[in-house]
Amino acid sequence: MSDLRINFSKWMKTHFCNEYECLRGRATPGDEDAFPGLRLKWEREMGTAGWIGIGWPTEYGGKGASLDEIVGFNEEYACHGGPGRAGHIGETLLAPTIIAFGTEQQKARYLPGIKAGTEFWCQGYSEPNAGSDLSNIKTKARLENNQWVITGQKIWTSLAMDSDYIFVLARADEGSKGRQGLVFLLVKLNQPGIKIRPIKQMSGTSEFNEVFFDEAVCSHNDIIGEVGDGWKIAMALLGFERGASTLGQQMTFADEFRQIVDLAKSNGSAKDPLIRQRIAKSYAGLKIMRFTALRTLEAAEKGETTKEGYISKIFWSSWHRDLGELAMDVMGNEAEILVNGEYSKLQKLFLFSRADTIYGGTNQIQRNIIAERALGMPKEPRGGGTVKEG
Amino acid sequence: MVYPFNSDHEMIREALSGFLQEWYENGKGPERIYRSGKAFDKEAWSGFSHDLGMVGVAISEDFGGSGLDDLGRVVVMEELGASLCAIPFLTTGGQVVDIISKIATTQFKKEYLPRIARGEIQGVFSSGHVGREKKCINSPNADTADFILISRLKNKLIEVVYLDASAPGLKINSKKTMDPTRSFCDVDWSKVSDTDFLLIGTVELDFFEDIISQSQIALAAECIGGAQKCLDMTLEYASQRVQFGRSIASFQAIKHRCADMFILIEAAKSAVYAAAVATEVEKTEAVLIAKAYATEAYFKVAGDAIQLHGGIGFTWEYPLHLFFKRARANRTMFGVPSEDYKLLADSILGDKS
Repeated sequence: MSDLRINFSKWMKTHFCNEYECLRGRATPGDEDAFPGLRLKWEREMGTAGWIGIGWPTEYGGKGASLDEIVGFNEEYACHGGPGRAGHIGETLLAPTIIAFGTEQQKARYLPGIKAGTEFWCQGYSEPNAGSDLSNIKTKARLENNQWVITGQKIWTSLAMDSDYIFVLARADEGSKGRQGLVFLLVKLNQPGIKIRPIKQMSGTSEFNEVFFDEAVCSHNDIIGEVGDGWKIAMALLGFERGASTLGQQMTFADEFRQIVDLAKSNGSAKDPLIRQRIAKSYAGLKIMRFTALRTLEAAEKGETTKEGYISKIFWSSWHRDLGELAMDVMGNEAEILVNGEYSKLQKLFLFSRADTIYGGTNQIQRNIIAERALGMPKEPRGGGTVKEG
Repeated sequence: MVYPFNSDHEMIREALSGFLQEWYENGKGPERIYRSGKAFDKEAWSGFSHDLGMVGVAISEDFGGSGLDDLGRVVVMEELGASLCAIPFLTTGGQVVDIISKIATTQFKKEYLPRIARGEIQGVFSSGHVGREKKCINSPNADTADFILISRLKNKLIEVVYLDASAPGLKINSKKTMDPTRSFCDVDWSKVSDTDFLLIGTVELDFFEDIISQSQIALAAECIGGAQKCLDMTLEYASQRVQFGRSIASFQAIKHRCADMFILIEAAKSAVYAAAVATEVEKTEAVLIAKAYATEAYFKVAGDAIQLHGGIGFTWEYPLHLFFKRARANRTMFGVPSEDYKLLADSILGDKS
């Protein structure tokens, strides 16, 4: 075990307690509205102690931690029951992008807030007509008096309500199509031209939001890369999620699994041979997820590119959806009852896991990606003309 | 760290895959074996054991092998699975080598292991019900074995004994099987004189669990090799077959089915490699998962491969049915997947159903 992991474990023991106790295991997807204020405070606690951005190079205030150490850190965090991280989009996606492609001015302006756990970011990619087909975005940005002026709409924006900034993929060249003519902008959310509307999901909660831009502005300096680089930057950003958090996520899954097993034992459903088979298969899936993540991470450490990483998203999302269904069958008719009028953890898991197979690339898109990139099969044909709307 | 394939493993993979490709793609495929009426490819065995020295992959270097671990055997089985090569490696290079290596005297090892490594003799392990019966049904590859290892109860101890296949009274009845590339035999030693058995050693009951575990990993490895070959053949076929004026590989219905095959295969590989390198504590569980998952994945993938090949996949001439039949055979060898999952559930839930 790395020194970093040992130190972090000690720190979690002494700091993740008392007032934070109620956050244990909370704020997972489907439970994102739990204790918003306290969670932001917890992020500051982490930031002050230097536990945000451990993988960043030391010159930007990071610890230059290796992939191995970051994996250990995430496992330790999950192990102690740390709550869903409010700042992960800024820390693990935007910050590496700024470090790789940003200007010195952008680094100086934005990295410290992320590192301190005081400034939160959300991702402005998807639009009502640009979901799986992301390059079809319509949100416009025009340069006017040294400012970018942005008009359009983003949707499915995670955690926008709790964020201070949004990075926006927008179309700068009027009339450009697809991946051409896009810009990647850093935009403050709290301004007159921006309105946020939460989307109430079938889980009753609102992780996702709509974000409306009506002549919203940011400085001409707040573009990463040049005009026309937007697509490249946007994709590079997604590439920074190298699966270091995967093993931590799996520990959350393991906790959920364990809860279902305990319930099956206490309510007698564990006597049902078919439930037993499903429990065993679920467990096998959980282990296989871990084995696959380790294969991928080890190859990445050695600088090799391997193909098994392509199965990660569809494998975990399908597994998690099955787990939700298993949870309901283990509960039996009790699954219907809202104790104290609210969805329980397992009910939220069941409902929210229907989104797992949609966001971040649907299972159908994942199969396209596997077929085309891992198996080298022909690419999907692209529509030639425009389809009339309405 | 966790998946320590090293240069030795890579070397084995390369040499073996080259050998098997040459052997099978020049028309010497399993169909030839089928016509010969015997599930044993003598020439391939000679090349495999004598020229390549692969039987001894898990035999210690002191006794003429290459002393590689479970992972070495995984590589060999993956390649054999991809070619359906009808040779008794699983039985001879697996169980028999493991049993002799673990319990025989040095003298016995010196006498037998080098000859096994050179492919001069081969054997099988045929176990009655924990040694209570003097026969074993459905023992793979027994009809071509030169000797048979048997477990039997004697004075409340479990003995493992050696029996020469030519011993008077020994009956080995080879049965016709759906999968023509691996034989199943009934072995009956009830009429063999007691003096013909040679004691190798005595063991505890859990010794065999260990032996079976090793074989289950090897079997699971064969499954991922076979499944990968089925997917490769499907991709090749789909890229060449044109319908409606386009390659059928461009249809999403085909692409998505291939993607699902890939997901099953890669997940199964993760499970098998993990089982091969698992620590003592993790072993039982890891092997159950690997064997159950890989055998089910292979069967699903082989079936999908036939579907995606259309009519040709259903013919006798095209080799896919042989993979499908092997996949079916593997599903029930060393226990069925539902039994593995039952054992896993017992362990997770801490009770018995």
